[in-house]
Amino acid sequence: MFLAWNEIKKNKLRFALIVGVLMLVSYLVFFLSGLATGLASLNREAVDKWDATAIVLTEESDKSLPQSSLTTEEADNIKDNDTATLGQLNSIARNGDAKQNIALFGIDSEEFIMPKVTEGEKFAGDNEVIASDTLKEDGFKLGDELELSSTDEKLTIVGFTDSARFNAAPVLYGDVTTFQKVKFGEGAAENETQINGIVVRGDDFSSISTSNEDLEVIEVEEFIENLPGYTEQALTLNFMIYFLFGISSVIVAIFLYVLTVQKISMFGVMKAQGISNGYLSRSVIAQTFLLAFIGVVVGFALTLISGEFLPSAVPVAFDIPTMIIYGVILIVVAILGAVFSVLTIVKIDPLKAIGG
Amino acid sequence: MAILELNNVKKSFGSGHMKVDALKETNFSAEPGELIAVIGPSGSGKSTFLTVAGGLQTPTSGAILVNNKDLADLNEKQRSKIRLKEIGFILQASNLVPFLNVDNQMKLLDNVKKDNMSKEELNALYDNLGIKELRKKYPADLSGGERQRVAIAKALYSKPSILLADEPTASLDSEKAYEVMELLKKETTQNKTTTIVVTHDTRLIEYCDKVYEMTDGVLKLKETSKKSQAIL
Ligand SMILES: Nc1ncnc2c1ncn2[C@@H]1O[C@H](COP(=O)(O)OP(=O)(O)O)[C@@H](O)[C@H]1O
Ligand SMILES: [Mg+2]
Repeated sequence: MFLAWNEIKKNKLRFALIVGVLMLVSYLVFFLSGLATGLASLNREAVDKWDATAIVLTEESDKSLPQSSLTTEEADNIKDNDTATLGQLNSIARNGDAKQNIALFGIDSEEFIMPKVTEGEKFAGDNEVIASDTLKEDGFKLGDELELSSTDEKLTIVGFTDSARFNAAPVLYGDVTTFQKVKFGEGAAENETQINGIVVRGDDFSSISTSNEDLEVIEVEEFIENLPGYTEQALTLNFMIYFLFGISSVIVAIFLYVLTVQKISMFGVMKAQGISNGYLSRSVIAQTFLLAFIGVVVGFALTLISGEFLPSAVPVAFDIPTMIIYGVILIVVAILGAVFSVLTIVKIDPLKAIGG
Repeated sequence: MAILELNNVKKSFGSGHMKVDALKETNFSAEPGELIAVIGPSGSGKSTFLTVAGGLQTPTSGAILVNNKDLADLNEKQRSKIRLKEIGFILQASNLVPFLNVDNQMKLLDNVKKDNMSKEELNALYDNLGIKELRKKYPADLSGGERQRVAIAKALYSKPSILLADEPTASLDSEKAYEVMELLKKETTQNKTTTIVVTHDTRLIEYCDKVYEMTDGVLKLKETSKKSQAIL
């Protein structure tokens, strides 16, 4: 640390540049991870809120909730576990001024997927819905009458709930009959048992089964991964993050290598004096750690600060534990970049360096 | 008892008709407290002799004993330890770390080795070298002569039993050069250090106990102290 720190103190500008680059890379990594988390919750937060183990859909729906069609009686074929019936459709809601893509969930208010109301009241009768509170930012409010694109039925917002987005659309929770009126119109009465899926909450996935061969029990995580676009988005962003890890390692390696090459004769002199490779290598590693640590911490702070100033339309959500893990990876990766310099130092022949 | 011994040491570079015998078969020994000069023309093998003796390069054949330890039996890591503990180098080119001030040049050694000079000893050394005012200065802010004196302080700070100096006075004017030689003489007798100074400045040999001359890789004892003074 003695050498490392004294060198940094003496060459502030040079090392500030390295810290600056590391800071920008970590800023980008943290931001992308925030974006990944934000986009993921945009897709899955309503599902996460169920706190469910599995969902039962028809085999032929290929894990797609809207494509699945079954009846409420199927719940009786699922033994030993808590179940909740779920009807779902996508539509566009207008209140006169604003319009927004929504997902309508038809549920039974007695079952566990009934959300907690954060404002207003629970739905009591037909055509009453609890809405995702993100709709407030889109210009919807309590008491709004909603026209839906697919039907003449009008829905009324009687309450709001939080964390209620499904596959990027805010959710409206209503009674199953409300859902069926919207979906089937005149034919609602004949289809009163028609729903899309059954959500199951149990102790473990393997205990959940159904006696109906045409149905498939899908683990919740797998169900989420099969939401349209979800896996593709996550992969894209994670790939960018992994590339950035590699890039920052290379950047640090190049920077440190250039610095090390400039100092070859100095290292040679110290080696001639009998200062060990170990001491010099530890010094370079310690220096890299210091630079990377400062860069990552500043990048972290900068990310959180700029997160405060972003419009709410940008789907960033900072998951601190993930960011800490990424920060640690960045530091480790930077230290890997220093390995090149260490190898160079070990290879320096003190004799050549002092130019006897 | 000899602190440094070279037995039948040879060093050659290259092979075939490109072969250079930089150091022909050499026998040499030095006692604690001796100040020895090696003079000779450029390219005669003086630096080769010094670096081989100091364990910075391995001889082609022969044995080098430092404190009765054969350097040939040691690996690079162990030789590095010997250099740290027993040997001090003063080189022609500045051998200071650019981003450390004078005090920290010494402190670096405290980081890697025990039993260096005490504060009082260091202060006395600074006084002797006339660099007390330079303690907080960085190498870039020193003149060539000042740098060389700091390099000497650094070499002496670790209290080596052998001090190897390759043209330490090359960048100094003759007045400063005499001062430096006087100082090396003083430290050598005070601490029972064995000091070998390579130089081509024959005026400096009056300070030395023995003078060797190097010609074409052959090392020959030229004068002992009294004779050399008689010549001058
Ligand atoms: N690493 C080396 N490779 C090849 N030849 C060398 C090397 N080092 C020294 N020599 C040769 O050995 C001879 C002695 O060199 P050196 O010991 O540096 O002389 P001096 O210090 O007396 O000027 C010279 O001819 C030089 O070219
Ligand atoms: Mg030379």
